[in-house]
Amino acid sequence: MLATVIIFQIETAKALALLTCLSSQDNPFRQRIAEVFSEDGEGNMTLDDFLDMFSVLSEMAPRDLKAYYAFKIYDFNNDDFLCKSDLEKTLNKLTRNELTEEEVRMVCDKVIDEADLDNDGRLSLEDFQHMIVRAPDFLSTFHIRI
Amino acid sequence: MSYYGNSVYNNPGYHDSDTLQIDRSPPRKSVHSNPHGNPYPRDQEAGAVQTGRSDNQTLPGGGLASYDDAQTRVPWGGWQEESWRGRDSIPIGLLSPRPESPHWQQDINQESHYDKSPLVQPPSTTTDHVSTRFRGSRRMSLFPVGEAALGNLGFSEDHIRNEMEMEEENVIKELVAMSTTDRIKAIRDLPMSFNDKKHVRGQVLVFKSFKKSRRRNCFADCSETFQLSFRRCGAHMMLARQTLDLWQGTMKEIGGTFGTGVLSYFKFLKWLLMFNVFSFLVNFGFITIPQLSYDPTPAVPTGVKFTGLEILTGSGYFSHTVMYYGGYSNETRGSEGRPRYNMQLAYFFTIAAYMVLCGAALVYSMARSFRKRFVQADPATGSAWQLLCSWDFSVTNERAVRQRRNNLRIQLKESLSDKVRVALLPLSDRLKHYAVFLGTWILSTGVAVGCASGIYFLCQFEKGSADESTGSLLDEASTLLLPFVVSLVNLVIPLFYSLFRKIEQYPNPRMQVYAIILRNVILKMSILGILCYYWMKNVAERSLCWESAVGQSLYRLVVVDFLFLMLGSFFGEFLSNVVGTKCIQSLGVPEFDIARNVLDLIYAQTLAWIGIYFSPLLPVIQMIKFFALFYLKKVSITRNCQPPRRAGRAAQMQTIFIAILFFPSFVGALSMLAYTVWTLPPSDGCGPFRGLDTTFSAVQVWIAYLDGVSGAHWIVWIYRHVIRSEIFYFLITIIILVFIYIFWQIIKGRKLLISLLRQQIANEGKDKAFLLEKLQDVQKSKQNKQRKKRPTRNRPEDETSPGLLQALLARQRLEEEDASAAYNSFGVSVPSERTMSTTSSAVMQALIARQQAGSQAGSYRGVPFTAEPPVPSSTSALIQAMQARQKAESQAEDGFHRTPAPSQNPVNALPGAMIQAMQARQRAELEELDRSEPERPVSSTSGVIMQARQRAELEEEFYRTPASSQVPDNTGPGSALIQAMLARRQIEDEYVDEY
Repeated sequence: MLATVIIFQIETAKALALLTCLSSQDNPFRQRIAEVFSEDGEGNMTLDDFLDMFSVLSEMAPRDLKAYYAFKIYDFNNDDFLCKSDLEKTLNKLTRNELTEEEVRMVCDKVIDEADLDNDGRLSLEDFQHMIVRAPDFLSTFHIRI
Repeated sequence: MSYYGNSVYNNPGYHDSDTLQIDRSPPRKSVHSNPHGNPYPRDQEAGAVQTGRSDNQTLPGGGLASYDDAQTRVPWGGWQEESWRGRDSIPIGLLSPRPESPHWQQDINQESHYDKSPLVQPPSTTTDHVSTRFRGSRRMSLFPVGEAALGNLGFSEDHIRNEMEMEEENVIKELVAMSTTDRIKAIRDLPMSFNDKKHVRGQVLVFKSFKKSRRRNCFADCSETFQLSFRRCGAHMMLARQTLDLWQGTMKEIGGTFGTGVLSYFKFLKWLLMFNVFSFLVNFGFITIPQLSYDPTPAVPTGVKFTGLEILTGSGYFSHTVMYYGGYSNETRGSEGRPRYNMQLAYFFTIAAYMVLCGAALVYSMARSFRKRFVQADPATGSAWQLLCSWDFSVTNERAVRQRRNNLRIQLKESLSDKVRVALLPLSDRLKHYAVFLGTWILSTGVAVGCASGIYFLCQFEKGSADESTGSLLDEASTLLLPFVVSLVNLVIPLFYSLFRKIEQYPNPRMQVYAIILRNVILKMSILGILCYYWMKNVAERSLCWESAVGQSLYRLVVVDFLFLMLGSFFGEFLSNVVGTKCIQSLGVPEFDIARNVLDLIYAQTLAWIGIYFSPLLPVIQMIKFFALFYLKKVSITRNCQPPRRAGRAAQMQTIFIAILFFPSFVGALSMLAYTVWTLPPSDGCGPFRGLDTTFSAVQVWIAYLDGVSGAHWIVWIYRHVIRSEIFYFLITIIILVFIYIFWQIIKGRKLLISLLRQQIANEGKDKAFLLEKLQDVQKSKQNKQRKKRPTRNRPEDETSPGLLQALLARQRLEEEDASAAYNSFGVSVPSERTMSTTSSAVMQALIARQQAGSQAGSYRGVPFTAEPPVPSSTSALIQAMQARQKAESQAEDGFHRTPAPSQNPVNALPGAMIQAMQARQRAELEELDRSEPERPVSSTSGVIMQARQRAELEEEFYRTPASSQVPDNTGPGSALIQAMLARRQIEDEYVDEY
């Protein structure tokens, strides 16, 4: 129990560091990560939620777990599919709304065209996982180092 | 139910198994949809009612018996099998402490869960709670349209909760069946929150301890404790290793500021450093320590003093120490009688072992990285990858985040414009581009050749001047000219190459990067090649102790290269930063060029590999160099540089760098060493191999010695028959060629298979889309019909039965439509005659059942009806069965208590039995309803709907059997399952709408 408390204190110190990292105003997915991992879905995290997030974004987390939560992060409307609106939102967040609508549409079409295996016009978790397998950098990029 | 495990990717039947879950879920849901949560009590209750009735009415117990028999044997038994299919690995006995009643126990568990949950939260608020608490535990494939749509499909809160509980149950069951290590891994893989994982783990442990308590003994206890402590120890070790890892914190800092691409440079640097540390340990341990232990003071001639310039030039004082080949003796250490230490063999085998191990490590990491990163990465994924996987979550620095977003935007814009530009390019422009490529390639290769020949002539000039040298300090310093020129060339020419970027226009930026890398590699390797040629040709013939001379040259090259790297990062990065920020704003802060820096590292490592034979302690210099370089680059990058603009594909670049490190660099060094060892005569005056023809003859001498020693014949045999025999190498070559050919063919086959599977996925997707469309049509038409139907439900009580009949009729029509629609969508594969007969028979049977029920409910006479329904000939068997049954029942009713045997049924086949069961059941239920109708008419309506639903599910079971066997394999069970799913959804829609 004592050990747990000590570890907890250490982790809290680390967690504070992580908080400052995440609170960077420019991080495009800051709010979204908090939403996905919080229990109420609105970004108010309890300690447990925080630990969950920490564990998923850690080095040790398996690829499928990471892929699952990455999918959730990109799935803005929570319908368990990445549809065009999700992709557009992602793109706008990534590029700070500086692409024209035409360009956004082109990119999204291309993404769906490339990654949508079953041709239903949107990306399911399986499509996403398939894409992740082919993106070898994913494991190291979906990772917060503190 | 499967969870997210690593096996998901390896399992070729992943998609199939996913679809199977959809298939399995309907029966389960049906179980929980009724208020009791369990089919058994319900059926028995119905049976009891029937038995009660059979006292007043003339219903036989035998009918009941056959009904129960059929009921348990066909649909529910079938359901059990169905829902447990694919989970054979889980012994049912594990599920409960009482293996004799598995499903009862299971149901009790579910009931207890069911009862427990409302205690935690009031039922009205559970949806939100559950949906967030189990935010990860839900399989998406089970709820394909998400939560909002669930409501439309008629999943109530209870449904969702039950489904989740079932899922949790299943996960626990699977986990119980696993081994401990697997289980820990699997639990870690579960996409659940921390608390849920804890809960699951607790449950699994409870199950485990139940199982174990039966056969607990001391040994099991001990082994369990031992295993636990072993695992904990391993985890702690891993943690400790992580903490002790060199530069761990620094690496994180760099990764957080500059992203994964830059981090890969530092990882590469660390990896090379590890090579050198290993090499140093081996050389120092097996060569230097024995030498020093015998002869601790270097045999420095009088008059040679340490001046300090040696650190740069490596000559003078150093040339007489153990730094170089010349400092080692050729003696055999140790006194007679004891095991002796042969310096020749030690020197030879240590270097050889190091090179072999290096080669193995390189091949291993190269193959692994190729497999992981290069082959799997499809070149077709351009922007998809960039968009969804490119965000580097590890970047936490605010400035870096902003920069990264800018870079990403620029990258996307460029790739978009590239596509447009390439498409629009006319032929003349394209020809112009090709001409430019040709020109730049000729120019770059020419420059490389020119540099190499210039260096060759410089070498010869230097040799000429060295012959006349008097040994003064100036002469010693003049030896630094050659390494200085070489390093200068290495610094300047790449900058010149990077100017080509302005005139060349490659279709994509990656090609450009590859071109630059290739040119630099050609330059560096041609310089090294010419130097090696010079050493082999000229130095080896003339010099007295030529190995030491070569070692000195290499030492100088290594040291001067280090100085230039430092100067390069100072002038190159610091000055251009100053210029970029202070003077010319348009230049901006310089980027950190990963490719150029990594190539510098590779060049340095090649020098170290070449020099390891001539100067066994060269790795020390290399270690110091890399160690200092790490901090230097870190400071330089944080102060002066910005992260590279093109962040993409760091992993692929890493693979390419490892490949370059292996192919020209390591293989080149190895071949040079091999040439030296096998053909060049070692110098007579110094070194361990003095007096021998070649270095390798040390081994021959040793073998000749071993020939006389007893017990060492096997070494001699191996030497003669393996190492020295041509036939062995010939056979090995043949075998390897054959294997390569076989694997090549396998790869070709796999490629074909992959394309076929892709096609199939696309086809399945089309099927799905089509069926969903159909489903929507059906839903629309159903809504229209229900609008018409709604008034019938509000009729007074005495008219309930006809209303019900109408509802049933409408329902059956719908089912017919649905079924035929579903079948027609596979009309290509299913014979139409058969389709019609199946559909019509089902409908017919339903009609008969309804009529029978209706007549009984309406008249309540207990006299069997006589009206024969219109029967098409194709369904005659079924009709016969029913008629026979009816007759049997009427007989039984006459005889009141007589028990007719089930063998009276004319048809013993499965469908017949099922139909009978259904009819009997419907009738029983209807009768039950009739009795209770006056008291609660609303619930009776719902009851009828539920019965209809159950029956429809039975029909579904009935359909599925022929359908899945008829449909050919390539459309697969998936389509049949989809159809079943559709039917189920529709039924559930109706169920909700009736409410």
